[in-house]
Amino acid sequence: MIVPFGHVIVLAGALFLLGITCAVCRRNLIMVVLGVEIMLNAASIIFLAGALRWFSMEGQVFVVMVLAIAATEVAIGLALIVYAYRRTGSVDPINFNCLNEQPTGSQLAGFIRE
Amino acid sequence: MASCWIENSTLLTAIVGTWAPFVTFVLIMLFTRHRPKTSAGLSLASATVSLASALVLLGGHWNLQRPLEYTGRWLVSGDIYIPFGYLLDPVSLLMLTVVAIIGFLVQFYSLGYMAGDPGFSRYFALMSLFLWSMMCLTISPTLFQLYIFWELVGLSSYFLIGFWYEKFSAGQAGKKAFVMTRLGDVAMFLGVLLILLHLGNLNILEIDSPKIVGLMPPEMLTLAALLIFGGIIGKSAQFPLLTWLPDAMQGPSPVSALLHSSTMVAAGVYLFERLFPFFLFSSTATTVGLAIGTISMLLASTMAMVSRDIKQIWAYSTISQLGFMLMGLDAGGLFAGAFHLTTHAAFKALLFLCAGVFIHQYGTNDIYDLAAKGTRRMRVPMLCTIIGAGALAGLPPLSGFFSKEVILAKLAGLPNPIWLVAALLGVFLTAYYAFRPIFIMLFPPSLPAANASNAAPEGTRHRLLYRIMVGPLVILAGATVALGFLQTPLRNFLAGQYTGLTTAGGAHLGWLPYVTSLLATGGVALTWWEFGRPGARQTGFVDGIPVIARFFAERWYLDRLYRAILDHAVDRGISAVLAQNDTRVIDGSIDGISRGTVLAGRLAALINAGMIQYRLLMIFAATVLLSLYFFF
Repeated sequence: MIVPFGHVIVLAGALFLLGITCAVCRRNLIMVVLGVEIMLNAASIIFLAGALRWFSMEGQVFVVMVLAIAATEVAIGLALIVYAYRRTGSVDPINFNCLNEQPTGSQLAGFIRE
Repeated sequence: MASCWIENSTLLTAIVGTWAPFVTFVLIMLFTRHRPKTSAGLSLASATVSLASALVLLGGHWNLQRPLEYTGRWLVSGDIYIPFGYLLDPVSLLMLTVVAIIGFLVQFYSLGYMAGDPGFSRYFALMSLFLWSMMCLTISPTLFQLYIFWELVGLSSYFLIGFWYEKFSAGQAGKKAFVMTRLGDVAMFLGVLLILLHLGNLNILEIDSPKIVGLMPPEMLTLAALLIFGGIIGKSAQFPLLTWLPDAMQGPSPVSALLHSSTMVAAGVYLFERLFPFFLFSSTATTVGLAIGTISMLLASTMAMVSRDIKQIWAYSTISQLGFMLMGLDAGGLFAGAFHLTTHAAFKALLFLCAGVFIHQYGTNDIYDLAAKGTRRMRVPMLCTIIGAGALAGLPPLSGFFSKEVILAKLAGLPNPIWLVAALLGVFLTAYYAFRPIFIMLFPPSLPAANASNAAPEGTRHRLLYRIMVGPLVILAGATVALGFLQTPLRNFLAGQYTGLTTAGGAHLGWLPYVTSLLATGGVALTWWEFGRPGARQTGFVDGIPVIARFFAERWYLDRLYRAILDHAVDRGISAVLAQNDTRVIDGSIDGISRGTVLAGRLAALINAGMIQYRLLMIFAATVLLSLYFFF
């Protein structure tokens, strides 16, 4: 193994962080799905590095599995995004928070005073 | 075996006699509340049983040498053993008999007085309760048992003073009596605890034995005696706590008669008799007692001099006579106090029952109104009132003269002459205020038209009620006259009590009876000059000075003072601080907790914005934290 195992782990961690940042911060559903994909890939890298280090095939098997899952996930995710876009006319996730009615500032002040 | 049988029969008599009224109370309250006649019959039957047993006990133990005590274990707590039982000695036997006799007569009288009252059954039930608690108080062998019945006496007198509870003032008077006596009872309870701490038990015979001086340091003994004396002050309406008694006349007249003569207020003096040697061990306590008795006597006399309410006048006279008794007891005369208590019970019950007849007939308490309506035509009650007032004033052939003379002789034996002088002044004032209502009622300025020449009211039923009421009056009047001549037997009877105690007899001064009767006659003469003489203006010499008259009529502003203390010190001082603490600290902290919870919930709700990305962030953060926790 030419590249040290620690470096691979740092790379995977950085990739995972990038992915989660993308998934959490971007106000675009497509970019969120993209972030999730990046995180999956970061996990895949770890699996590969592990497989190489311990000379074990299970890591590579898992990567194939992850790829398959990523493909299906992207398919379903994109379908959902298309549905959501049809419904609301935007791909911003803030428009889909139908579960919560956000209290305004003055309402909050009222709750505190009670 | 014979002695055992005798003891058992004594015990049986005592138990039956003292507990019969309680059984009646329970029966009436549970079963016969809606059958007034049955209730009255039951109550009167139990009073008769009590009377009979008290007389049997008194007769059977007339030559009692040493106290009889029967106790059974009631409670054991650690080292403290609390027995419950009976203590029969001359003091308790005499008191038991007095209570039983007065109780029986008053209940009989009530048949007439309370006839037709909607609360007839309740009245007799409460009277039975009152009698039961007082009789059990009388025969208590321990201070603990005495304290229980002491409070029961207070409770039942609260019920009876506030008997006509629809009347606002009656309810108020009941509460006032209860709360004011409670003040003294708290002090008494502390005193009892103090004795318990040092002595280890509350047996009255042990408290009265000289060994308590060795067990308690002198200052502790004094403190305990003073605290217990506080209870006596409350119960017997002495100086600082005397204002509840004049208000207690809001109850029915027979209740006042019972309460003033032999039960409620007499309980205080009786407690003093009970713990007589104990009090004498502390000279400070007896001096304080003398001062309190003297102050109460003079204070109440001045108040009685200006009152217009007949029951109130007799109430003030009760306070002053109780002051007399306490003076006599504090001067070291057990017989003086006990004898005056006995004679006082007879003539005070008589006076109140007579007042009850007048009030029942004319529906007013005011002596001038009563006079104008023609009380002088009710010959028997009027004559009885005169006999009672004569005894109260201490006029020679009547019982009050003899008992007062005993007290005065004791006081004359004291080194300090001021007590005797104060008592003689008291004798004069007593004669004055006792005969003031008499002359006002006997010689009204204008009599109503003589169409109602027959004193007894019309109608057979009314006449029957009147007869029922007059019967006890005659008996009591007879007792008032006769009791004075029983002085020597009673003295011999009581001589068996506390024999180990050196209570040197008071100086027997030959001139004292003459001075006393002279002063009493002088008081009566002054009253006659002011109220009874043809053409008298019927205003007392006190009324000539409006400031003083007002001062006396307002009860020396004692009530106002208490009101002011309550308003300013308690309401605005202590209560205000406590209320502030309640609203600010307790309510504030609880409100703060609830508001904080609400706020935290709202803040947490901000996170739960329904935004999928926030949730993701949360999941991530939680996973990171969990992994940190698990791996490091």
